[in-house]
Amino acid sequence: MEFTVNGNPYQHNGEGTILSLLESMGVDPAKVAIVVNDAIIKRETLDSVELANGDQIEIITFAGGG
Amino acid sequence: MTDTLRIGDRDFDSRLLVGTGKYSNSSVMLESIKASKSQLATVALRRFNPDLPSDDLYGPLSKIEGMTIMPNTSGAMTAKEALRVALLGRELSGSNFVKLEIHPNPHHLMPDPIETYEGAKLLIKEGFFVLPYMPADPVLAKRLEEIGCAAVMPLGAAIGSGKGLSTSGMLKIIIRESNIPVIVDAGLRSPAEACAAMELGCDAVLVNSALAAAEDPVAMGRAFAKAVEAGREARLAGIMRTSNHAVATSPLTSFLTEEK
Amino acid sequence: MSQIYPQWHDPASFVEINRRATSADVQAALSSDSPGLWELAVLLSEAADSQLETMAATAKKLTTSHFGRTISLYTPLYVSNYCSGGCTYCGFNSDVEQVRHRLSEKELDNEIKALKDRGFEDILLLTGERTKEAGFQYLLDCVRITAKRFHNISVESFSMTEDEYAQLVEAGCTGITVYQETYEPVYYKQVHPRGSKRDYGFRLEAPSRALKAGMRTVGLGALLGLSEPIAELLCLFQHITYLRKHYWKGGISVSFPRIRQEGIDFKVRYDVDEKFLAKIIFAFRICLPDVPLVLSTRERYQFRDGMAGLGVTRMSISSKTTVGGYDSDTEETEGQFCIQDTRDFDAFVQTLKNKGLEPVMKNWDIVFQDK
Repeated sequence: MEFTVNGNPYQHNGEGTILSLLESMGVDPAKVAIVVNDAIIKRETLDSVELANGDQIEIITFAGGG
Repeated sequence: MTDTLRIGDRDFDSRLLVGTGKYSNSSVMLESIKASKSQLATVALRRFNPDLPSDDLYGPLSKIEGMTIMPNTSGAMTAKEALRVALLGRELSGSNFVKLEIHPNPHHLMPDPIETYEGAKLLIKEGFFVLPYMPADPVLAKRLEEIGCAAVMPLGAAIGSGKGLSTSGMLKIIIRESNIPVIVDAGLRSPAEACAAMELGCDAVLVNSALAAAEDPVAMGRAFAKAVEAGREARLAGIMRTSNHAVATSPLTSFLTEEK
Repeated sequence: MSQIYPQWHDPASFVEINRRATSADVQAALSSDSPGLWELAVLLSEAADSQLETMAATAKKLTTSHFGRTISLYTPLYVSNYCSGGCTYCGFNSDVEQVRHRLSEKELDNEIKALKDRGFEDILLLTGERTKEAGFQYLLDCVRITAKRFHNISVESFSMTEDEYAQLVEAGCTGITVYQETYEPVYYKQVHPRGSKRDYGFRLEAPSRALKAGMRTVGLGALLGLSEPIAELLCLFQHITYLRKHYWKGGISVSFPRIRQEGIDFKVRYDVDEKFLAKIIFAFRICLPDVPLVLSTRERYQFRDGMAGLGVTRMSISSKTTVGGYDSDTEETEGQFCIQDTRDFDAFVQTLKNKGLEPVMKNWDIVFQDK
């Protein structure tokens, strides 16, 4: 499946759930928040929300700030 | 009697809040925060970069005992944008704490009172504990309290200016009239200033640049921890005796009643 | 003449202050609470030379206070070297015979990919003056394509109308860089013999139009060496002050390009050596504590390393002034000017870290802003 992840094209070979995508990228789901096509995805649904080809995904985390 | 600080639905032993920005590297930042004994750290949001795992802030920060991570809405220029950032931040932190900061000018970073007020309304409706960063304006402080903010965060001076408690006159008024915690944010450059803010009657202080830019941020963290504790104790100790006029320990005019 | 210039102080009287400044004046300037034009004139004086170390220390303190221990990094990408202008001091000017090229959509895509793969997040797109090969529409298309992968996009190109800037903003452009080159109107016309760049007032007001159109940041500068430097810098300072007054939401940054030449015959009238440039940067940091100051790879690496954190808060990196150049498939061209600092990305980043500075690749704030 092909998505745009954080502005970059990404080829995903796995199940179409967000959890599977994070696993394949080596990202710890506990450390990030996910936005798919401008909608914030609730943490409990990371393994159930199905992604579709062409989805725009944002993976957000914390950074230093005042 | 314990002197814990209650904000929202949490109690804090430490009255020193810290920011996590502007450090030269994240391990220094973590050590500095630990040394400061702070239990509330603000963070900003950005896109995760899997190629830079060392940039992971959340993991190490959340392992600090008793730490509450509070996302800020830095980057948002409007109330609506702030809501979006806050919702993202809540998804990450799992808590309802948010530092509402909207500063449209990238140089002096002064908070926008109008967008902040509107933003606070939106966030409170969504169940957030809102800590708004605001100009040291006593009227705005009461308005933010009235709509349900969990605390107010008036600035001591412009961010990064290091001008200390230049708004102390306004802060006194805010403190006198506030029913919610008053947390001075921005401008504090030394432990002495943090101590002074606490003696003034602030409920807590937030420092970032003063630690991050110090030659030895870890030692500075320890210094700030002590300063905030000292200032708070002094405030509590002095509370019984503060008065605008002098009170002698023995009456000066007792001789007047003795006329026979 | 433009509408804004007459409102400024004639630099001549402040140049006089600069010439007459004593070390007592320098002391006064250094301890001033709210430095302005007078302080800048004094800190740029010869009398300030003996205080360079103090100025450096003050600049360092102010930089750390306002910017923390971070350096923002960006990469320049020339998308085209076609040019209709005849700027007598520039390597790309249309009189100079050289291979002219503009990046095709595919080439641009590849260059962007190459840059993103290297970790860049902040990009500056450059073109020459308007040509039919590389005019506004071409530039707009480049911005659109770049905006698919980058959030921080600046453009250094021909002066545009407010409407054109608004279209760039809509397409994802977040900043423009437009150097006045020289603030001296008569000499300006001499070095810009033809084309739309010849219009002094139109160029001068370009940053105003961009900010009015919603551009987030503008980068200003004078090309040091063209005209008498003190007068230029005083005008530059007034330009910055003017914009901050009239466009309160706008971000301003300042660069200090010194003339470098590649392949053309041009007599540089004024010499600005490294020591002078350092003094200039310290003086600007002291007088504009919260404005980002930019240093490019025009300068040699020892200078860049030394100045990082002493006032400089933003640097270009891994630069090429040829068209494209980051992706090996792009057709080769000659460069606009000579790059002195040719270190690769990792080496430079390590040097910064050794100095206790954290390189910042991106301004994340923009990600959360609605267009």
